[in-house]
Amino acid sequence: MQVRPTQSSGNSAAASAAAFFLLLPLLLLAPARPALADAAAGLQKAQACLACHGEGGRSTNPLYPVLAGQPRQFLVSALFAFREGKRKSEQMAPFAANLTNADLNDLAAYFSTQSATGALRKSSAEVAAAGRALTEKNNCTSCHGPALYGQQHIPRLAGQHMEYLKAQLTGFRASTRADIDGNMTSAAQVLTPQDIEVLADYLSGLGAP
Amino acid sequence: MKLRTALPAAALLAIAAGLAQAQTAAPAAAPATPSAPPPWQQGMTPELAKANLHPLVGHVTGRPASDLPIKNLKVPAGFKVEVWVDGIPDARSLTLGDKGTVFVGNRLQNNVYAVTEKDGKREAKVILKDLNAPNGVLFHKGTLFVAERERILRYDGIEDNLASPPAPKVVIDGLPQQPGHFWKVLAMGPDGKLYFNIGSPQNITMPSYIQAAIMRVDPNTGVLETYSTGIRNSVGMDFDPRTKKLWFTSNARDWLGEDSPADILSVVSFKGEQHGFPYCHQGDMLDPIYGKGRTCAEFTPPVHKLGPHIAPLGMRFYTGNMFPASYKNTMLIAQHGSWNKTVKHGYNVIHVTLDAKGKVAKSEPFLEGFLTDDKADPPMWGRPVDVMQMKDGSVLVSDDYNGIIYRVSYKK
Repeated sequence: MQVRPTQSSGNSAAASAAAFFLLLPLLLLAPARPALADAAAGLQKAQACLACHGEGGRSTNPLYPVLAGQPRQFLVSALFAFREGKRKSEQMAPFAANLTNADLNDLAAYFSTQSATGALRKSSAEVAAAGRALTEKNNCTSCHGPALYGQQHIPRLAGQHMEYLKAQLTGFRASTRADIDGNMTSAAQVLTPQDIEVLADYLSGLGAP
Repeated sequence: MKLRTALPAAALLAIAAGLAQAQTAAPAAAPATPSAPPPWQQGMTPELAKANLHPLVGHVTGRPASDLPIKNLKVPAGFKVEVWVDGIPDARSLTLGDKGTVFVGNRLQNNVYAVTEKDGKREAKVILKDLNAPNGVLFHKGTLFVAERERILRYDGIEDNLASPPAPKVVIDGLPQQPGHFWKVLAMGPDGKLYFNIGSPQNITMPSYIQAAIMRVDPNTGVLETYSTGIRNSVGMDFDPRTKKLWFTSNARDWLGEDSPADILSVVSFKGEQHGFPYCHQGDMLDPIYGKGRTCAEFTPPVHKLGPHIAPLGMRFYTGNMFPASYKNTMLIAQHGSWNKTVKHGYNVIHVTLDAKGKVAKSEPFLEGFLTDDKADPPMWGRPVDVMQMKDGSVLVSDDYNGIIYRVSYKK
């Protein structure tokens, strides 16, 4: 797999031109040898993503996940799953279908280096306590990390949209949400719909950058 | 990015929102019934849960060798290690065709690759796709056998038809559906039967009669037999070219501690031999649950303890002429771990020499340098999976974390 030099994202000429001038300083600093992933190239390629996922991947629409600050390897894995049809989404499928491996890595490099949003909601004290207890009981922190910021191929949960988290956990529980190694499908089997509601509320309310 | 869309953003948003509504309007889930934790997590103690130990997963697109610290790899004096090919994401088991094709299986992806050389150029291509965890590959007399999650297929005459492989025939289907340890490896016995593993379905559980076992199947008739039991998960096996006995590596259970139980290297001496799982681990350690009322004396102990959580996978006897004579009929073993341990070790290929009595006389490093920081997460930049001897006597090593195959050679 080789990363090609940046190329047009195919959006309007105006957007490309704007992106070019915004990126000019970054492009000038870019190393001569193509690296595995290139955040500057990623921003150019990300223009089509931002309509739904928000500026910098900080989605303000509860239906679309926040991408900013997600681990790079997770973002590559997620885009790969959409491209290969393992993760089903009529929204994402057409966007992912033609992405090359280099595109996946560039997009991931871009979104992973954007600062994450903080807490997206204020969970009640009861939900916060119950949510924390559920994350401990279900060993969420074993993989997602002590602060639930994610790592490697494992997504950040803190400050993610509640509706999105609910949809994912419900999908894992129903064994319909693709899963790189089967761990989340297994982990979600013990969750009740009430657990999922509480977890999604709690995780969405976790703050800090 | 090749995406070309003429739809205005507002229209896209409207479509997306409608679809999202449809997605979230899924029927309410059925009432939950108590269920087990994930296979790898069973038996985890509360203290260990706080250690944040988790299985590792490779880069799904692979990583180019040019971006990796290949120069950190170390081999013994006189040996040389180099990148043989990259761009094979999730590169797992290796097997060599009669005409020099190297076939590569996948565990978490769905493909089988063929690596060929034409006009001095090496090329890796997907030749079989949409398979279900085709981890095990074995070439024998013109046929490629592929072990999937629940069945074994055969592709006859494949090397002459790499561009459009023949439709497969089923050797055996309906192997257990299980959540964990579903990936299989294959070895061809001197009896012409295919030997393969069916792992324990969980970290620690009572296996069914057909699980935590090495099985064998006659590739012509499909007749299946249990060959040896009490083997939690063997992802590496090979027949000793001298004794014709089946040697195997096996991965021990997790969550019993930082330094035990050890993963093992052992040998099957007779059909039906029981090696201890789930009752007794590493030959001398009763399981806290399943060991009650049992003794380790009931089971065959391992020949050698390879180390805790070190995840020995591919194992082959070296029979080539390129390496020094002392390597003849010794074993190379790939270590894919550790992860279930706060201070990591392993991620090497080791060289194991047996004495005349079949005991381990010597175990030494062979390929090192993937481990970078034993307390970091991840602690390494690559993970050896399988080892395979080429016709010239050099050895290939697969790395599923990066999708790379390395070649180790020797020159006097």
